[in-house]
Formats: sequence, structure tokens, C-alpha cells
Amino acid sequence: MSKDRRFIFVMILPTVLFISLVIFLPAIRSIIMAFQDYNMYFLTKKFIGFKNFSDAFNDPVFIQATKNTLIWTLLSLALQFVLGFSLALLLRRPFRGRGVYTALVFYPWAVSGFVIGLQWRWMFHGSAGVINDLLLKLGLIQERIAFLSDPSYALYAAIVANVWYGVPFFAIMLLAALQSVPQELYEAAKIDGANAFKQFMNVTIPYVRPVIINTTLIRFIWIVNFPDIIFSMTNGGPAGSSHILSTLLISKVYNEYNYGVASAIGVIIMLILATYAYVYLKINRSEGGF
Amino acid sequence: MRRLLTILRILALSVFLVCALFPLYWTFITSLKGATEMYSYPITYWPKQVTLENYRYLLRSLNFGRYTVNSIFVSLLSSLAALMVASFSGYVLARRRFSTKKVLFFVLFITQMIPGFMLMSSIYVMLGPIGLVDNLLVLAFLYTGIMVPFSTIMMKSFFERIPESIEEAALIDGCKKLQMVFKIVFPVTAPGLAATFCFAFVNCWNELFLAIMLLNSESKKTIPVGLNSFVGKADIDWGAMSAGVLIALIPAMVIFAFAQKYIVQGLTQGAVKE
Repeated sequence: MSKDRRFIFVMILPTVLFISLVIFLPAIRSIIMAFQDYNMYFLTKKFIGFKNFSDAFNDPVFIQATKNTLIWTLLSLALQFVLGFSLALLLRRPFRGRGVYTALVFYPWAVSGFVIGLQWRWMFHGSAGVINDLLLKLGLIQERIAFLSDPSYALYAAIVANVWYGVPFFAIMLLAALQSVPQELYEAAKIDGANAFKQFMNVTIPYVRPVIINTTLIRFIWIVNFPDIIFSMTNGGPAGSSHILSTLLISKVYNEYNYGVASAIGVIIMLILATYAYVYLKINRSEGGF
Repeated sequence: MRRLLTILRILALSVFLVCALFPLYWTFITSLKGATEMYSYPITYWPKQVTLENYRYLLRSLNFGRYTVNSIFVSLLSSLAALMVASFSGYVLARRRFSTKKVLFFVLFITQMIPGFMLMSSIYVMLGPIGLVDNLLVLAFLYTGIMVPFSTIMMKSFFERIPESIEEAALIDGCKKLQMVFKIVFPVTAPGLAATFCFAFVNCWNELFLAIMLLNSESKKTIPVGLNSFVGKADIDWGAMSAGVLIALIPAMVIFAFAQKYIVQGLTQGAVKE
């Protein structure tokens, strides 16, 4: 027994060391920094209580970024889910070339958010952009729109790119779940006289429900923490109108060298996510979540 | 009715495919266009004059070759290290019962909420004074740590699929425990190891924020950092940028295409009822 315990200890140790050194130690340092005057221009490192937090809250861009985080996350999540689920349903029954088809249609998953942002930034270009050209040809707009330099469009253009990126993930997870529904359940439902819609509502949905719950839980957290697309598409612009909290954090670090306020924003994001995860898991405890 | 549904299904599948592929196509033809054609009306959906000028410019004057070598080095090193570390703990998590297992799972879950960009300033502040910034080995060490939690979860699910009876048989045959793990268990998990490796590799290959923070000399930059310094310039050269984007995304795409089936297995295990 003690020999086995040593075996377990040795096997786990590297993981624990790596996580502690690379994730938890910096996380603790970050929390401390949130209470320090840590601006790389005028380094004092003095402890200043909650000043970084009040600085953040008093910044109108922060308020805008908080609203944007909500829009960005909920809209992206909802559209990714609906489109991903539709794609999964379309792919459920086999057809010739399905393997190749899925490999092609799922590829956005492999591309980095940063690169996706660059591609879409070019496609959304105000004068030479292909999206403007297509919309003009289809007669949906009368003149070109400067999507990324217009505060009323910039965030939504980024959401379009994010939805494009996220559909494959949902499709993959839900397709796997759909394929695991035992065929007998459908047979039984058919014998009971259930039509296609009823089968979907009473057999498919209940069966894939745990996957839906787990996937949206994880996905929500990932989307909140996904600054990559906005960073390369608009970098929060114009005038901070398309910032979400995570891109604001990054611009505090890269552009303002204000690590204290950046850390405070990081702590705020963590608190929001922790609350979210707690409530979500509480509500879904009976559903067999994490 | 049945016929109509089939047609609708084919139509819908085609729309998804076109939407998925169009950005790739557009990047590709942009990379082949010359500077004047890029901005001239009407917009061309196939270059009037195909040129490789953008690729030449990228390779000659922008150190892109160097960036590529750096990216391969860092991604390879950290994904191999993460794979090794994660397969040890993943194995134990799949096979043994011990008191701290729940705690470990909770810790792994928590790490999912702390992405690299949130830690970059504190990592910089900690590493700067001891001279460990602008160092590809240090970056690889950090990537390893960041990739370990998710790789562990994936490896655990792969180990759980191997029947325990093989191991019992090996032990009865007089195999030592560690020997048994290396000689019997790991070879059987080869697809799982490959999938986890690919997943980690692509993630490291794509990582941007920590790399921007920690690398500043031209000779150390990875591809994403190189592309990003492109954005910094007032006017983006979209032709060269598109060529760079293609170089950045093709390896990731190819790797994913091969490993996708196994990656999906690793991700969906446990989430799906058996």
C-alpha cells in the first residue's frame, strides 16, 4: 500500500509542480499586485488598498467593456449553440464523404483567434473589404459601411467572427452526444406513435441534455476569457467602444503598462466567473454536471 | 416530401461549408494579389495577375523563416513535455483511488478559468528581475505548465478506455509497475497520446499574449508575435499579412485534420453518457 502511495505521489508530482509554478504562483502574485501601485512608468509598488478597483470602476471604458462582455458572451454563445446544434443534426445521419466534409467544415477550430481576427478584419475592411462588396451585390446595403471604425458595428463584427469560430466546437460535442443516443429509444418512441418533432423533444433533447449543460458551462467561461479576436480585429476601438473586460486588461498591460489596474480587472473577471460557475453548478447539480 | 427534405439538407450543408471555407479562400487569393489590385474596384474574386511577391517579401525582409523555426521549437518542446507530465498524472487519476483526487480535479477545473493573458503581467514581473525574459526555453516551460491541466484531463479519459485486465495480466507475468506502464499501457494509448500531443502543439503554436509579453528581440519572436508586429504598423500590408496568416494556420489545420477523430474522443468522453 505505501509503495503504491509512493507510486501515485511520483506520478502526480510533476503536474502539481507545473501547475503551482506556472499558474497558481503567478495568480497569487497577480492578486497581490491588484492592491499595489504597480505602474511600470512610476514604480512605487506601494500598497494602495482598493484604489486600482475604484480606478477601474470610475473609467467609463470599463463600464462599456462590462456591458460589451455581456453582449459578446451571450450573443456569441447563443448563436454558436444554435448553429452548432443545427450542423450536428445535419451530420447525424451518414452520407458519402462525411469524413472529408467534417474535416473541412470543422477546421476553424484549429485556427487561433488572433489569426481569425486578422482574416475578418481584412474581410470587414471599409473600402476594399469583401463583405461590403457581397452585401452591395446582394442589395442589402446601398453604400459601403466602415464596420470596424464605426462604434455601432465594431463589436458585432467581432461577434460574427467569434460565432464563425465557435460553431465547430459545439457541432463536434453535440454530434458525439447525438450519436450516442441508443437507437432503441427512437424505435420505442415510434411504436408509441411519436412523430419526428416529438421524438426530438422527448428522446433526443433529454438524452443530450448533460452534454449541452457541460458544454455551455465551459464555453461561457472560454468566451468571456477570449480576447484574441477582438484584440486583432479592433483592439477595442474605435475609442474603446468594442472592448470587453479581457481586451481592456490586455490594453492596460500592453499600452498603459498599468499592471495594478490590469490585475484588478483580472480579479474582477475571476470573481464574475467563479460566481457564474457556482450558480450554474448549483442549479444543475441534479443533472450530473462536473 | 422526403425528396424535399434531402434537398434542404444538402443546401444547408453547402451553406455551412461555404461559410467555413470562404475566409480561407479569401486569405489565399489576397496573398496572391499585387498591391494595386488589392485596393482597386471592382473587387476581384480571383487575382487578375497571380504574384508570389508577398511570399518573397515575407521570407526575405521579415525574418519569417526565423519566426517559423522558433514557433516549431517552442511548440514541439512544450507539447512533448506537457504530454509526458500529463500522461503520468492522467494514468493515476484514471486507475487509482486516493484521498486527494477530488481536490486535484477541482484544481484542474479552476485552472480553466485562469488563461495565460491574465497572468502575463505577474509572470513578467516575477521573471524580469531574475533575467528570465526573452528566452524561448522559459517560454516553453510556461507553455508546458499552461497545457498540463487540459492534457491531464484528456489523457485520463483515454486511459479509462483501456481495459484494466491487460495490466493485471502484465503484473501477473512479473512486470514491475513502472515497467508495465511504459511497456504495456502507453503503447496501447498511442492514439490518445497522439491526440493530446496535437492538441497541445496547436495551442502552443497559436499562443500570442504571453509571447508578446516575454519576447522582444527579433531573433526570438514566434509567428504570432511576428504577425502582431505587422499590425502595429499604421498601414497594414494585407498581401504580406495574408501570406503570413496562411503560413501560421496551415500546420495547425493539417495537424488537426489528422488528429481530429481522437481529439474529439478525448473531449467528449465523460461528457457523453455511456
